[in-house]
Amino acid sequence: MKKHYDIVIVGSGAGGGTVANALIPLAKKGAKIAILEQGPHYSHAFFTQREIEMMRLFRFNGAWPVKSGEITVAAGSGVGGSTLMYTGVSFRLPHDVLKNWHIQELTYKDLSDRFERIEKEIHVILPSDNRINDNNRLFQKGCQSLGWPVKRIPLNIKNCEQVGFCNLGCDSGSKQGTLEIQIPKAVAAGIDLIPNCEVNHIFEKKVHAAIHKTPPGTLDGPWHPGKICIYSDIIVLAAGSPCTPGLLIKSGFQNKLPWIGRDISLHPAMTLYGVYPKPIVNYRGFPKTFYTDQFTDAHDYYIETAFYYPFVATRHLGIWGRDLSETMSAYNQLMTVLVLNHDKNCPENRITVNRKGMVQVHYKLNKQIISSLCHAQIQSSRIFFAAGCDRVIMPCASPHVIHRDKSNPKTLEKIIQTRNFIPIKTPVSSAHPQGGCAMGSGERSVTNSWGQVHGFPWLYVSDASLFPKSAHVNPYLTVMALADRVGEHIIRSFSLD
Amino acid sequence: MYKCQYIKGHRLRTILAAADCIIPAHERLKSAKSMNTIGVMDHAISQMPSQLRLQFLFFISIVHVLGIFFGGRFFSDNSQSDQIRQLKWMEGSILRGFRMGFLGLKTYICMGYFTRESTWSGIHYYGPLKYDQPPPDAVIRHLCQDKRKVCE
Repeated sequence: MKKHYDIVIVGSGAGGGTVANALIPLAKKGAKIAILEQGPHYSHAFFTQREIEMMRLFRFNGAWPVKSGEITVAAGSGVGGSTLMYTGVSFRLPHDVLKNWHIQELTYKDLSDRFERIEKEIHVILPSDNRINDNNRLFQKGCQSLGWPVKRIPLNIKNCEQVGFCNLGCDSGSKQGTLEIQIPKAVAAGIDLIPNCEVNHIFEKKVHAAIHKTPPGTLDGPWHPGKICIYSDIIVLAAGSPCTPGLLIKSGFQNKLPWIGRDISLHPAMTLYGVYPKPIVNYRGFPKTFYTDQFTDAHDYYIETAFYYPFVATRHLGIWGRDLSETMSAYNQLMTVLVLNHDKNCPENRITVNRKGMVQVHYKLNKQIISSLCHAQIQSSRIFFAAGCDRVIMPCASPHVIHRDKSNPKTLEKIIQTRNFIPIKTPVSSAHPQGGCAMGSGERSVTNSWGQVHGFPWLYVSDASLFPKSAHVNPYLTVMALADRVGEHIIRSFSLD
Repeated sequence: MYKCQYIKGHRLRTILAAADCIIPAHERLKSAKSMNTIGVMDHAISQMPSQLRLQFLFFISIVHVLGIFFGGRFFSDNSQSDQIRQLKWMEGSILRGFRMGFLGLKTYICMGYFTRESTWSGIHYYGPLKYDQPPPDAVIRHLCQDKRKVCE
């Protein structure tokens, strides 16, 4: 099968959905545009709020380990990409982070204007008091009693029913991801949406892909299963990091652009738990409403509130046996936080493609990250105890369960040690893979500041692969702003002749 | 009725014994050692990429045989204290493969146990608020609701 388009967009997440939205003026003028999404197109009715059934929203059912096995990467798979199963956290890129990216032609004013406009489009709000549940209230109390700043997390939600299942797909459509906002607008404007379309290879102005069968319960796409060759004047890659760099490597672009797949960061994260003496209501209100940046400058991490379902919680806890049974027996008393490390680029961390054509992420947790994560466990323990928890479970503590009688900071420092960090055993995850196609003008860059790949004017990148360094914060709003820039550049340079 | 495709024979005995070590009974929580846990695990294993599934099943066989070094018998025939000693050794082993294998085993046991509705009351989890949404896969829904008898 062969198809012809003016523009194809590979991916429909924060990057792909937003660039499609930005290209609506072109579609209205008659340009033929298609969004190719590898995953299925889910309807709201598909989201059953059951974690085992919703694992399919994640690539490899949520268990995509890096090559060393030290971290598992979570990435969305379906129309909406990772905005399907994120919590709606919509931080602006911090000003000093952008400065440190050293990208000429990308000013903060440019990004700010886009942030402001996109925030309106996707309904970013600061959660009001009636959305703050017990877990968040306790986090606030803990931070305040320690004298640490506690700030509200901007969220993109509208008419939220506050059921707390954001990470399993939003069945009410309240979370304003690309599945709800940008994609429907693009489709209404005549842009074709092709789900279950796996892009295997990019050639000059040509894409080789395979259409897979529609999984039961999901929405059909317009094309029948089989191999397909799509000709297009412009190709926009928005499959996310690490898939976009992986696709470029698979397609042989690394020969001309050796920095593809390099300069990656993952935001290594740990989810930590304390046991409160009474049940905590986590289902009502919103799972994430507060964070503290007390340790961002000196120790490279944020602490945010979080909430996870029982099976995923057991993966984070890193314990088993009697400790696990005892802790899970008090599941409704678990206070939860998420630690997000601002990792730095390392030469050994990179994306490759193996002999079978599978994308692999090579990533090692270095001493600096491990030390930061241990520091975060000590400080998170202090928050839990200050909030009133009886005991905490820390993966780098020996023993893992620490009771209140050992809540003194000096004692915590003795119990929680980097030597107890055992790669693979100590649970570390990532939901924010970034980099691999850095934007800029230096020799390490892969694209210019508009996402256009150096030396290939028909090829663009429009996702978190563009980040030359870690964004420090949850990256979705930044991805959307950069994708909006990519769309603007395409509109400026595109001619329908 | 759900007939296990992959977890049978020595692997079944090994996983049942490991499940009892990883999630033992506590207060209202029953031990994970049950065929219902195995049913969910087996179904999940059937969805794995074939190479990963082979690696996982091979690892279970290694756990079975390695029991000889920790208690003189195969894993499931050893005393629980010997089984726990072996699992702890694998979890912290200098060999990456053992650590990975243990993590996989523990993860699948936790999946087979904590995603089942009969477990939820023991952990005070009230489950989905929209309980009757149609399932994308009726088999896994039935297994999680203990509506299918699981056999070897």
